[in-house]
Amino acid sequence: MKIDDLEKLENEGVENLPSEERRRFLRFGLAVTGVFVGGSVLSLTSARNAESAMGPVPASGAFPYSPHYTMVMRQNRCIDCERCMEACVKTNNVPSYGYRTTILQQEREIGKGVKERVFMPVLCNHCNRPPCVRVCPTTATYKDKKNGIVMMDYKRCIGCKTCMAACPYNARYFKEENRAVDKCNFCFDTRLSKGESKTACAAACPAGVRVFGDLTDYNSEAYKLIHTPEKVVWVLRPETGAMPNVFYMND
Amino acid sequence: MKRNNKSVMNMVGLAAVVGLLVFSSLSFAEEAYDEDTYGPKAPIVWTKPVKGVVFLHKTHTMDAGLSCDSCHDSIFQMAAGTAEQSADFTMASLYKGKYCGACHDGQMAFASNTRCATCHVGVKGYNKLTGPAPQGKASGKH
Repeated sequence: MKIDDLEKLENEGVENLPSEERRRFLRFGLAVTGVFVGGSVLSLTSARNAESAMGPVPASGAFPYSPHYTMVMRQNRCIDCERCMEACVKTNNVPSYGYRTTILQQEREIGKGVKERVFMPVLCNHCNRPPCVRVCPTTATYKDKKNGIVMMDYKRCIGCKTCMAACPYNARYFKEENRAVDKCNFCFDTRLSKGESKTACAAACPAGVRVFGDLTDYNSEAYKLIHTPEKVVWVLRPETGAMPNVFYMND
Repeated sequence: MKRNNKSVMNMVGLAAVVGLLVFSSLSFAEEAYDEDTYGPKAPIVWTKPVKGVVFLHKTHTMDAGLSCDSCHDSIFQMAAGTAEQSADFTMASLYKGKYCGACHDGQMAFASNTRCATCHVGVKGYNKLTGPAPQGKASGKH
């Protein structure tokens, strides 16, 4: 429809618009204005809303790291056999009171008396904007400049646990033996740096739930999975704006 | 005296109602599930090759209408835990139509390679059904 035609239309007025709709419209207007005036600094709404509208998967080529490590969870395949957890404990010497990865369980009703059980493997999301790194007072936890893994320098950790409070994914625990916070590092010290291509958990999974890979490698299974057009891919707690690198989908 | 009589009557009435309720619930329960007809009530939980796969006789016999000889002794031995001892008690065998796969083929019942967590209750489900794991392994939470 052209502007000339639009002008001929009768004004519907705003009386019948729900206030939520009106607010959304106004917010959109403010966001657009903000972008034109100078980007996120002047924008009256946070720029992260615009990102989440694009979906959680970064656009091709927009990966800040190389290799850009990622894990794709084909969630509906998870059967909670917990071999991943066993492998992680063994590989990374995780004590019984903590975890680097665990499985969450959810049960929901999907019909009259019919229940569906969902297992959700979780671990550190190695966020592009890690809230834990931001709050660490001693830079004991940092984002590796090359591969983007959120690492721990145990010697620097003073055990203030601020990172544990900041992490949206509850992926950190205080390891008494180290007197430092411990977390998943995609098995960097125990496997990746020794030439292995997969993390211990991904290698141990009998159901192919955990697909570990590099998003800058367009031939990797992980890249192909999250760029399958007909598939819905999601991340956990996108609203935090942390831009996690662990993606979830149902195969 | 009059009062007493009334309270006695009340007591009798209450007892009768309670008795009726207890009796009816018992008879309902008995009617609802007969182990001789429908198989053991307790769930069968496999731990090999992966931990925590559950089978309920009720779902298959009473609800789905299968009889004992639909599965016994051709697909599964009567003795619980026999299938588990076989090396070929795997998902791959199921896809070839063995064990559960005899029916769970996508035609008779949902295919074995779909709806994983319907039968796989996992370590969490196993612990819930059997109490804490024998080796006392922590569930990874504290």
